[in-house]
Amino acid sequence: MNRFNSLVKREIMTSQKDLTTLGLVIVLLLFTSETISSLAARFSGSNFPPEVYNGMFPTFLMLGGFIMTSMLFAKDMFGKDSQHDWLMLPATNLEKYLSKVSLMTIAYPLVLIVLFFVASVVIEPIQLLIFGNPMAMFNPFRLKGILTLFAQYWVWNSVFMLGATYFHKAHFIKTVLAIGVIFIGLGALALLYIRIVFAIKFGSSMPVFNRMFTVNFAEANINLQSFRVFVDIGKIIYYGLLPIFCLVTAYFRVEEVQATDAV
Amino acid sequence: MEQEIQKNDLDLQSTQDIVVSMQDIGFSYGNVPLFKHLNLDISRGNIYGLLGKNGAGKTTLLKILSGQLFIDEGKTTALGENPQKRTPSLLSEIFYLPEEFPLPKMKGSEYLKVRAPFYPKFDHNEFARFCEEFDIDLEKRLDQMSLGQKKKVLLSFGLASNTAILILDEPTNGLDIPSKRQFRQIVASAMTENRTFIISTHQVRDMENLIDPIIILHDGSVIFNDTVASVSEKYVLDLVTEEPDKDKAFYTEKVLGGWMVLNERTDDSDGKPLDLETLFNVIVDRSKGGTK
Repeated sequence: MNRFNSLVKREIMTSQKDLTTLGLVIVLLLFTSETISSLAARFSGSNFPPEVYNGMFPTFLMLGGFIMTSMLFAKDMFGKDSQHDWLMLPATNLEKYLSKVSLMTIAYPLVLIVLFFVASVVIEPIQLLIFGNPMAMFNPFRLKGILTLFAQYWVWNSVFMLGATYFHKAHFIKTVLAIGVIFIGLGALALLYIRIVFAIKFGSSMPVFNRMFTVNFAEANINLQSFRVFVDIGKIIYYGLLPIFCLVTAYFRVEEVQATDAV
Repeated sequence: MEQEIQKNDLDLQSTQDIVVSMQDIGFSYGNVPLFKHLNLDISRGNIYGLLGKNGAGKTTLLKILSGQLFIDEGKTTALGENPQKRTPSLLSEIFYLPEEFPLPKMKGSEYLKVRAPFYPKFDHNEFARFCEEFDIDLEKRLDQMSLGQKKKVLLSFGLASNTAILILDEPTNGLDIPSKRQFRQIVASAMTENRTFIISTHQVRDMENLIDPIIILHDGSVIFNDTVASVSEKYVLDLVTEEPDKDKAFYTEKVLGGWMVLNERTDDSDGKPLDLETLFNVIVDRSKGGTK
């Protein structure tokens, strides 16, 4: 446990300056966004939108988080000069891996919530003094669908974690492209499957195939109640198996990394 | 029976004294083979010098024995463990100072706090002493230091970590002239019978009188792993002004003022001490079955 704590401490201290800069950029962006909204509201005579923080939080959580996750292993696993430092650090591969995973999976969302709250505590009184806006502090519990948001973050963060350990450079872009390719492939497969199913049930003529594009989803949902179990299985795969698969595969990549992987 | 026990004791002792063992290892970069059936034993309590031409695979060998590269075939053990597993128990006994490295954007004192907890035998007093001898300011940011200063920080750290194996890859590159002398003195003073230094270098003159035994890598294998004294016992080096008979001499080399000649030692021979540069040239030359 001491070693794990030391690893987490190392991770934070070595990127302390970058993290501080990022935090300041977020605060500055929030302040700018809030000011622009206030100015727009004042000059247009409309009401001030109270949900600026809630609107920006998912973007910073998802986009910011995924970019940071993509860069998480870049230097330590693939940096030509810096790799040896991480490889020779006396800790198990699992400890090294988990220290990074825990920071991005658990610590980052929590720190972001705290940062948004602190930013709102600082920004709101200033906005009140300058523009006379009502104080609207950031409250994560008021955020609509916050649990779903965190669940989505957990799933996609693990995918970007795999991309971070799998690709040697341009991790974020390559992961996004890979996801795109996989989606296109899966979409094509699903289309083919539906085409076959419709053809068996209604014949193979094209007008019947077109039916699937005019499906009434509300009606279909009622009819699909009996298939609810498949939806549940899908959820288990999506929220449980997919992230675990990605995280475990990413760990195996960490285990097998060696000096020849450095670029 | 007693003899057998004695023999077993000796075997055990010699096994314990071997800190690194490489048996029949093969390693390639893609399809380009580098090592084929390489064998090497490194014993405890020595300062080994690892010599070889550019591209001979010195750094690769060091990375293999420290677990940073995986071999294609054969067996490697370091302190009785497979380095590829990179266990904390092994890594906390190996300190590797690479030739080039970046250091994080933090002060030396902060680096110490971050890194030292990973080494159970780390001695803070020793670190302070080495830093003082090298004249290092730990309140200065590491990323703003010169390569030589960074090397001194890491070298001080490595020595203070009290690991069983210290791997130094071209440690004197980037050091100024007084620092090279300090380096030799500090390494010599930090040497104990439980420690093993493996120093890869091209700067043999910087390491003269420090490294011994010598390992020479050539053409994908270890062609020499012995002490300079063992060669000096058999051969003697002389400086002659007249061109020597190349068939009689073991090795000849044209130098300023004459020829350097290596002859087989006879009882009454009394020549110059064998320097590392000549030793390296002799061994590599002889391994090619080349010219004298």
